[in-house]
Amino acid sequence: MTESDLVKKIQELKKIRPSQDWTVLIKSQILGQEPKVLFFPFFKPVLATVTAFGILFGIFSLAQNSLPGDFLYSVKKITEKGQAVFVSEEELPKYNLKIANKRLEELTKIAETNQGKKLASAIEEYQASIATAAENLVKIREPEKALDVGKKIVELKMFEEEIKSLGVVVETEVLEEEYEIATCRIVGEELGILEKSTLTEKQGKLLPEIKEDYQGGNCNKALEKLLLSQY
Amino acid sequence: MINPRKIFSKIYDQYIDKIYRFIFLKVSSQEIAQDLTSETFLRGWESFKSGNKIENPQAFLYQIARNLVTDHYREKGKTRIVSADYVKITDPRTNLEEKAILNSDLDTVRLALTNLKEDYQNVIVWHYLDDLSISEVAKMLDKSEPAVRVQLHRALKALKNEFK
Repeated sequence: MTESDLVKKIQELKKIRPSQDWTVLIKSQILGQEPKVLFFPFFKPVLATVTAFGILFGIFSLAQNSLPGDFLYSVKKITEKGQAVFVSEEELPKYNLKIANKRLEELTKIAETNQGKKLASAIEEYQASIATAAENLVKIREPEKALDVGKKIVELKMFEEEIKSLGVVVETEVLEEEYEIATCRIVGEELGILEKSTLTEKQGKLLPEIKEDYQGGNCNKALEKLLLSQY
Repeated sequence: MINPRKIFSKIYDQYIDKIYRFIFLKVSSQEIAQDLTSETFLRGWESFKSGNKIENPQAFLYQIARNLVTDHYREKGKTRIVSADYVKITDPRTNLEEKAILNSDLDTVRLALTNLKEDYQNVIVWHYLDDLSISEVAKMLDKSEPAVRVQLHRALKALKNEFK
């Protein structure tokens, strides 16, 4: 093959393009509407603005039910990213798990309705959401929040087991691994505080067990006992 | 008065296809390419409207896209994909037979390109697909023009070997 033949083959890839509809939609999402200068009569621009908002609202509503592979799915993702801006750092781990749960629901819907073409995208979306959730577990600071997050992870694992029966296997050990690391860190910090404090009777009784679990690496158990010792 | 929205709108129109294609060739998924492309322009717009001086919008957008693709693969590397279907390139033509043959040819070239190391992929895409001059590619990579010429030559050689 000559260099010129090779270059011709490469240039065939220029045919790869996004769809025109998607391009237009994303542009309107990112740049929004151009603000208009109003002169008179004011009710015409008001009607135009209300119509525009109505259409956008319609698009957003439709997008909420879209699945990976659907035309409006990127609108759904942009909306979620916009909402995440208002979530505080401490609530971010729980929020990310809520999003992961959404992705898993989408995956389950696709698997249940045999939409084979969308399956690969849905699996990738779910795994990406798990990776994001795992990354943000480092932001957990409080034991109660850690326990909350732990419960959400257990729920996710249960749903993952359910879709296994539909023939879809996803493995997301990174989430459990990062959760264990976060839990161990929190338990370690709490133990440090407890050892310098005056303990209640309950705390005194549970402290040796908590330490044993912690040193054995069973930080989930240690965390539960830690929380128990506080009530 | 300068209207940043109008200016960025032109930038968007000028580069949306190129950025999408650049990302698609690396991630091989329409969904992921759409996500990362919209994220690229969202970040570009955020930076632009906040008044940051962007001397070379093209290079700026490509850099954001490269970073997003890297982040995407870093996240992907943390989880194991157990089942995934191979995603074919979609083509606007309606003739099914033509579509089948074209998709097959495009996929062959695309796969060959994705087998190259990233630096080689980038110079080939920028120069031959996005029609950037050697000088423009050199500025993007912060390299000398001779260095880019050598890299392009090696990249083509490596790509040729993929077809053997």
